[in-house]
Amino acid sequence: MDIIVLVKQVPDTTEVKLDPKTGNLIREGVESIINPDDLHALEAAVDLQETHGGKVTALSMGPPQAIDAISEALGMGVHEGILLTDKAFGGADTWATSFTLGKAIEKIEEYDLILCGRQAIDGDTAQIGPQVADYLNIPQVSYVCEIETIEEDALVAKTRLEDGFERIHCGLPALLTVIGELNTPRYPLMGRALDACKEKAPIKVWNAADIGVQTSQVGLEGSLTHVIKTFAPKFKRETEMLEGDTREMVGDLMGRLKENRLI
Amino acid sequence: MIRSNSEALIRKIMATFVDKELIPRAQEIDEKGEFPMEMFQEIGKMRVFGIRYPKKGGGSGGNTTLYCIICEELARGLMSVAAVTAMQCLMGTNFLFHFGTDALRETYFLPAMGGEKIACFCLTEAEAGSDLGNVSTSAIRTKDGYLLNGMKSWVTNGPVADFYTILCQTDPAKKFKGLNFFFVPRETPGLSIGKPFDLLGTRTTPISELALTDVHIPCEHMLGQEGRGMSNLLSILAEIRAMTAALAIGLQQAALDDSIRYAHERAQFGSTISNYQLIQAKVANMATDLEASRLLTYKATHMVDEKIPCLKEASMAKYFSTEAACRAGDEITRIFGAYAYSMEYSAQRYYRDNRFLLYGGGTHEILQPNIARWVGL
Repeated sequence: MDIIVLVKQVPDTTEVKLDPKTGNLIREGVESIINPDDLHALEAAVDLQETHGGKVTALSMGPPQAIDAISEALGMGVHEGILLTDKAFGGADTWATSFTLGKAIEKIEEYDLILCGRQAIDGDTAQIGPQVADYLNIPQVSYVCEIETIEEDALVAKTRLEDGFERIHCGLPALLTVIGELNTPRYPLMGRALDACKEKAPIKVWNAADIGVQTSQVGLEGSLTHVIKTFAPKFKRETEMLEGDTREMVGDLMGRLKENRLI
Repeated sequence: MIRSNSEALIRKIMATFVDKELIPRAQEIDEKGEFPMEMFQEIGKMRVFGIRYPKKGGGSGGNTTLYCIICEELARGLMSVAAVTAMQCLMGTNFLFHFGTDALRETYFLPAMGGEKIACFCLTEAEAGSDLGNVSTSAIRTKDGYLLNGMKSWVTNGPVADFYTILCQTDPAKKFKGLNFFFVPRETPGLSIGKPFDLLGTRTTPISELALTDVHIPCEHMLGQEGRGMSNLLSILAEIRAMTAALAIGLQQAALDDSIRYAHERAQFGSTISNYQLIQAKVANMATDLEASRLLTYKATHMVDEKIPCLKEASMAKYFSTEAACRAGDEITRIFGAYAYSMEYSAQRYYRDNRFLLYGGGTHEILQPNIARWVGL
């Protein structure tokens, strides 16, 4: 079973700073990690491969430093990594990102299953997986919390709904987006991680030309949506300490709450 | 060619492990006071213990710098877990790897790399600590092997180890040249393991005495060429000292991180204490010590990796970094104020655990005269 895992390197915080001009994330000075949901996708892929054989490929799009996410994935047991990196890919919305990933997957050609995390903690859109499946015209199952059975041409997955679960039978090849309940990701092995840092490591680096796309089709230029303005919500809080005995303070507090129509 | 930097990657992997798995359980493990078997096995599964051994020998194909990065990160989480890892990676397995027979390596070394067996290293005796020439545990040649008798003390991992690398004297007349290492499995008749010592710090690192009474072992259990025990020990001495320095860096980093966090939280006189200059001075001193420790230590580890003699540099790193860890352990107890006096907070642990670093790898009362001599005094 050949599996492709979509992996995104994200800043290690949910309180990221935004560039007020471009609306993009400021990544400098922020530690980067593999998107947490993607770790569960990697674990599922390696686990399936250990049972059913085949090959696991980690595919990521990002700046050159996203190579670290690929290296970590190799440390976890992935066989091959592909990093899509090109200045032309920068500033892509989910449409342009899905298109770029889809093109790379078409170039990979052979796959039975594509796994990815439900959503990335930086963008929180949860759109990439479904859009990649749509581009490739393959079935998709999202919010997968258990892969119950998997055979050569089909699988049964359990998915999490707001108020319960759903069991879905799905033909292969397919794309699954997974959630944390699926498994506990393993830590990378030291030797494998070190091998991933070597020149001969099984990592390919592809640019726009390698996947046969025009720069106008990808990145900011190829995006259908454009961010007009990004800003962090401002919370204004003022603290005032009330004085006096308890009776006075409670009376004062009640008066102010009524005055502000809060009660 | 775009590729990851191995030192940064290994540090990141270990830092994630420490932040997610070790720090949340550190207080509980320390209070329990038992060998942290579960954590030890988790670290083993990541093949950490083989970091300084080549892949073809069953290791992970790293080097001393990577080993020290791992020790540093683990010590940031809990010194006793870092200490047992340090032992397993270096002193406990080094001579078995280099001088053990294929059968011994197969039975003991390879499982140790995965955390399935625990290694141990026995040097110290009641009258032989810094003065190793005074080792009196004897190994007498017999027709088919050696007969070992004596008593070892301060044996790290002693109570839980599966095998022991023991320094013995085969010919007292030869002094240092009569010192040799011997491999002794736990189940060997005549080996008695004492009760774990009640320790001030690193309370989950079990340390005990080890008594050898007519312990008979075959010839192939001598690790290394006869008479080369001391020189083989000296061959890893710089690495031992650099590793101890790295452990001290981890403790400094933990104390600094917790100090900064606490100083931002604790308010007095209408302001957090982070705004007071005397607190700022302590944090600045801790941070400067930490930076200097890192520079000294990783200079030494890179020299080890380049096979450049560096006993002086490693000794300076061990001396400076450990003293800095002691200062950090003291400063955090002042920043935390009375809360440092409570066993509920981490400060007390750093204050206790830093003492562990003073003794192993050479006391500072030995290192300082040596350093003075090496620089020309």
